[in-house]
Formats: sequence, structure tokens, C-alpha cells
Amino acid sequence: MGLSGKLQQSNRAASKAVVVCITVFSALTACEKNSEIKVYRVSKAPLEESGPQQQDAMPTNTAAPRMPGVLAPAAETAVTTPPNWESQPLSQMRQASFLVRGDNGAVVDISLVSLGSAAGDVLENVNRWLGQLGQPPITEQKLPEIAQQLRTSLGDVTIADLTGLPDNSDPARDGRIIAAMATTGNSTLFFKLRGNADLAEAQKGDFIKWVAAVCNAQTQTGPPQMAAAPPNDSGAPRIQWKTPEGWTEVPPSSMRYASFSAPAEDGGKIDISVVTFPGDGGSDADNVNRWRGQIGLAPIDASAVTAQVAPLKTDDTTFSTADIAGDKTRTIAAWTRRDGRVWFFKATGPNASVEKEKPNFVKFIESVRF
Amino acid sequence: MLHRLVDLITSLKLTIICLAAAMALIFAGTLAQVHLGIHEAQQRYFQSMFVWWPPEGRGFKIPIFPGGHLIGAVLLINLIAAHIKRFRWTWRKLGIHLTHAGLIIMLAGGLFTDLFAVESHMRLSNGDTKNYSEDMRDTELAVIDTSGDDLDQVTAIPESVLRHNRVIDHWSLPFRIVVRNFYQNSRLKMLSQAGESARPIANQGPGAMIAVDPAPPATAADERDVPSAAIEILRKNGGSLGTWLVSDGLGAPQTFDCGGRTWMITLRPARYYKPYSVTLQKFTHEKYAGTEIPKNFSSKVTLIDPERSVDRDVLIYMNHPLRYRGETFYQAGFQPDDSATILQDVRNPSFIAPYVACVIVAAGLLVQFGFHLVGFSRQRRKALA
Repeated sequence: MGLSGKLQQSNRAASKAVVVCITVFSALTACEKNSEIKVYRVSKAPLEESGPQQQDAMPTNTAAPRMPGVLAPAAETAVTTPPNWESQPLSQMRQASFLVRGDNGAVVDISLVSLGSAAGDVLENVNRWLGQLGQPPITEQKLPEIAQQLRTSLGDVTIADLTGLPDNSDPARDGRIIAAMATTGNSTLFFKLRGNADLAEAQKGDFIKWVAAVCNAQTQTGPPQMAAAPPNDSGAPRIQWKTPEGWTEVPPSSMRYASFSAPAEDGGKIDISVVTFPGDGGSDADNVNRWRGQIGLAPIDASAVTAQVAPLKTDDTTFSTADIAGDKTRTIAAWTRRDGRVWFFKATGPNASVEKEKPNFVKFIESVRF
Repeated sequence: MLHRLVDLITSLKLTIICLAAAMALIFAGTLAQVHLGIHEAQQRYFQSMFVWWPPEGRGFKIPIFPGGHLIGAVLLINLIAAHIKRFRWTWRKLGIHLTHAGLIIMLAGGLFTDLFAVESHMRLSNGDTKNYSEDMRDTELAVIDTSGDDLDQVTAIPESVLRHNRVIDHWSLPFRIVVRNFYQNSRLKMLSQAGESARPIANQGPGAMIAVDPAPPATAADERDVPSAAIEILRKNGGSLGTWLVSDGLGAPQTFDCGGRTWMITLRPARYYKPYSVTLQKFTHEKYAGTEIPKNFSSKVTLIDPERSVDRDVLIYMNHPLRYRGETFYQAGFQPDDSATILQDVRNPSFIAPYVACVIVAAGLLVQFGFHLVGFSRQRRKALA
């Protein structure tokens, strides 16, 4: 092939490359970012149930697999915890979460997490926890010195007590991990206590009792249940009330303490809920405006909220109440704060029906005993 | 004709023109940030085929300069075509080939980053857990079917669709959405405070009591547009359910009933859901003793990924981001009272391209200059002998 032939070949190759480049570039730049309508499913993030402090908490994407845990919700309510364990909001994986406060700002965090059966063996997890405390990993031979066995009806539970303070960490909040690991058929339960070393020592006995109680409760509560729904707030004390006539108790959803249904005039229903959270539950203005938003009303300022909130004194305590009427829907709510918790009682339904049911709701509130 | 075209595309002159144009564009784009803000300037100057001149008050616009995409594309085509045309395999040219390949990867990587990288942020208060991040600029109209027992079905309509489509008819919705007004940036006022001439743009929900004032697009780096829209819901078999005001400035979602189901609508920052969750354990804001000068910001988070059985604590701080599943979380900001942290979440599938390109270019230059050095030494030795 002569020189001109080679040149022609090169030109042809170059022109093909140009065409390919232009085509690829045009195709890439033609599609505008974020221009497609997407459809997906997320777990419910109900406004009324998430509470003011959890407005943004965890709408779970179903693309994420459900948690493989088998923790029976009944275990949560059946197992009592020491009074100084403050119940914390639950996250996607935490099926129980507590905070214990000690002197001088010392805290320990206690959690129960359920993972799949492929959650690693004891040595891997012990080394993971050691890593979290800034400590070097150990070998299999050293493991018996650190890990102990606790016999429960769920089988042997391995308990590891680890000490170490990671760099730049606060000794009031870190320094020790006491962890328990229980393996069931298709899941692994991780119980973990982490925080100030001295406070952790003081809580160790209660922690191990709790681990044993939760494990024992697993075998008493029948067949495994899906644990994707967070269990009820196990720290909530039991309260009593008298259910008005005509109200039907319905199974509460995950975040509700109790649910009732009352018939409405047009064949609909009035939804009555009892919800409780640790803490103060946010300001009255925030709550009232949240409820207003739920029935299509615009928010109002704090002074207007104060004017709308009326006290309701009962034999046991004093409630704050609000009556919010929208175009079609009306919400009446009563709430009170006591012993570090807030309790919300709320009825929502068609305007006329709620008006008719209001005396029953007031009687219901008056019957509540803490 | 083909010869002349190929000669033009593969010419060194074209390379020089493109580089000069790129310099001029960067200069002009940098100055434009003063008035347009960094985001708008990037869009107009660098992420476009042309820089357009919009005469004030005129209904047309004309291209006045090639934009970043056009210059980059021509440069890339020029580089590839010239390389193919002049390609001759010899060991002595290995350095040149490597250097060219590195430059091509760098340019292509830049284009891919521009097209496919997603930046968002995750705002977490102490103890908060989230499995989604939110876009810093784009919003979406979320239409949520709340009738399911455990799950809500979300139809997320991007802002670009709201802006360009007057009627939205989607298979997942038993109604049509008609966009009556769309404001890229707006200010909301209660009607009682907006003066007598103000009229609501909606007749349902809180929007019926709110006046919407259009506002110029936000240009400062720490400002964000408050997009608002009036949307009418039409049953597919006819009949209007009313018009709602949706706005990033309104708090709670609004509800309505249609097709026997209860729906929620809200205009919110576009969300990117993830198969894992991040919990903020503690945000730390250290200052130099006796001053308000920041020393260090850090966020201690717990990363939980049920799919991969991951549950670990991570400390995110300056130059130590969390890299996980192709995403990088940087410590980007915080709430003024230190009650919340803001993590920047960057997903850039081609983040590795500049590193690879630099290594290849460096190797190519080493090889090329190495050959020259060896040849020069040999000649010198011969001359001395």
C-alpha cells in the first residue's frame, strides 16, 4: 500500500471516530437530569404518629430489604426495663433503644439490633467492637478470655465485655462496650451497651438480666413475626381509662399506644388515637399547627394557638385541649406532660360527627388514670 | 471535501482555538458568578452548548459564544480523531500514546461527571436517622397514595416536568394534574397581610388563604429558591377537585380524596433513597480556646445496612469523608446552634477518571522524556568516545 493509500485509510478511521464521538455525545447530552417521573413505595411516615421530634424519621424504602430479624413485638412489651433506662426513638434497625444517664454527664447507650444469619461469627464481631473502641483485634485463642456464655431458652448467648477509649472521644460517653450476641435460625440478635466505663459497670447486671429476659421471651411468644415495624414504645407506663360506649378498640399501629374507632353519621368513622413519646413532644404551637395542616388549615402564630388552647382539669391531672375545625374535618385533641413523657389523645373525623362525639371524648379524657 | 473536513477536525489549530475559547469562557463565567450565583453561572456557561444572550424585554435569545459542553466535545473529538489519524505503533511513540489516552480519559471523565454526578445533602439532628438525602437545588412534587396498610406509594414528579408540562397524566395516578402556575422562586404571605389587591392562586387547603409573590431566582451560595405552584386536580373521567397551592415554603403535606383513596401532595426537595441508613450520634464543633474560630467539625454517625449486615460507627470530619456504596459523605455544614449536621452526599460514578488520567499522563510523559534522555545520553557518549 502506498503512502496515499495509508493516508486515505487514516482519514476514513478518523472520520468514523468523529461520527461515533458526535453520536455518543449527542445521546448523552440529550437526556436531561431528573426529568423522569419516579414511582416507589416507602413505609408509612404518619404525621400524627411520628411526633414533632420525629417528623423526618425514616420513611423506609422498600428497595431496602426488610429486616430479617425475628424479634417478637410481644417480647418488647412483656420485658420490663429498669426505670432509669430512658426509651429512645427507634431507627430502622434498632428494635429497642435506651439511654442511661449517670453523674457528670456520663451516658451509656443500649440497643438491640437484629441482623441476618450472615452477620459474622463471634470473633469477627468482637474484633469489630474492639475496633470501635480503638483497640487492636484479638485472635481466636484470646476469645475465651473475653467472651462468656449466658444460657437462655433461645440457646447460649455470647457476652463480651470490652474496654478502650478511641482517640478524640469523650470518656463521659465512651470507653466500654458490653455486647451480647444470640444466633437463632435465620437471624442474629445483637444487644449492645456502650458508653462511660463506670456507668457501664453499674448497668452491667441490669443489662444482662434484660438480655436474658428478651431471649427467653422470644421462645414464649410463638412463631416468629416480621420485625420491620418498630415495636411499641416499651418505656411507656401502663395507664387506664374507661372506653365510652359505641367506641371500638382497634389494634394500634406501631407508634400508637392505643386506637379506637367511633361510627360517624355518613357511614364513615372517627379515628381516636393515644400516642406517647418520651420528652416534651415539642411546643403546643408546633403540635396544633401540625394538626391544622393535617386537615388542610393554614398555620397560625403562637399567640393565636395559646388563645385556642383550653385547660381541662380531671381528677388525676390537667390536660391542654384544642378543637380544630376544617372545612369538612375536625380534630379535637387533649395532651398532658408528666414523668418525662407527653401523652396525646386525639379524635379526627367529619365535622358534625366529631361535634356529636365530643362529650364522649371529654368523658374519655376525664377517665384517664396515670 | 472529506479530506478537508478531516484535516480541519484533526488540526492543531482547532485544538488551540478550543483551548483559547475555554480560557475566555472560564474568565467570563467566573465574572458572571457575581450576578448570577455559582449554580446559574455553571448552568449557563459550562453545562450548556452555547452561551445565550437574552436581550432585556425581548422574546428571543441568540447564541454568542460556545458553551462548556460544546468546547469540551470539540476538544475531545479533535483529540481522538487526531490520535487515530496519526496513530503509528512504535515503542518510541508509547509516551505520546499514553499521554493522549490520559487526556481523553480526563475529558471524557469531565463530561461523565457533568452528566451523571449527583450532589445532595443529608441534614441530621442528634439522634436522627435517615435513609434518603435531599437535592440542594431540585424539588419534586410528591403525590402519595396513603391507602396501603404498611406502605405509601409515592409518585415523584420532578420540577423540570412541572415547569415544562402543563398537564401531567401518569399511569400511577387516577387523576390528571394541571399546572396552573409555576414560580421558580416565591414568597408566601397570608392574604390578611398581603394587601387588598392580593388574590390566592388556589381554592383548596391553606393555599386559599395565602398570596404568592414571584421572586427573582436566588443567586447567593447560601440561598435557596422557594418554588411554588398552583396545581389543579382533574378526575380522569372529568370534573375538577379543586386547585391546591404546593410550595417548598409550606410545612405539612396536604390531603384530598380521589378514587376512594386518600392522597397527600407536597412540593419538597427531591429525595434520593438509599438501601442503608445513617444515624447521627453526635455532632462536634470545636473552637480554638477563647475564640469563636472553628477548629474542627465532626459528625459521629452509625451506618446500618441490613442487606450487607453492616452496623458500624464512622467519624466524618474534614478530609475524612465516609465512602460507601459509591457515595461519599462529606462534613459540609451545621445548624447555627450545633443541633444538627449537614452532610454533603456525592455520587459520582466517574470520580476515579481524573486520578487514572493523571497517572496515565504522568507515565506517558515519563516514558516520552525517558526515551529522549536515553537517546541524548547515547549520542553524548558516542560524541565523547
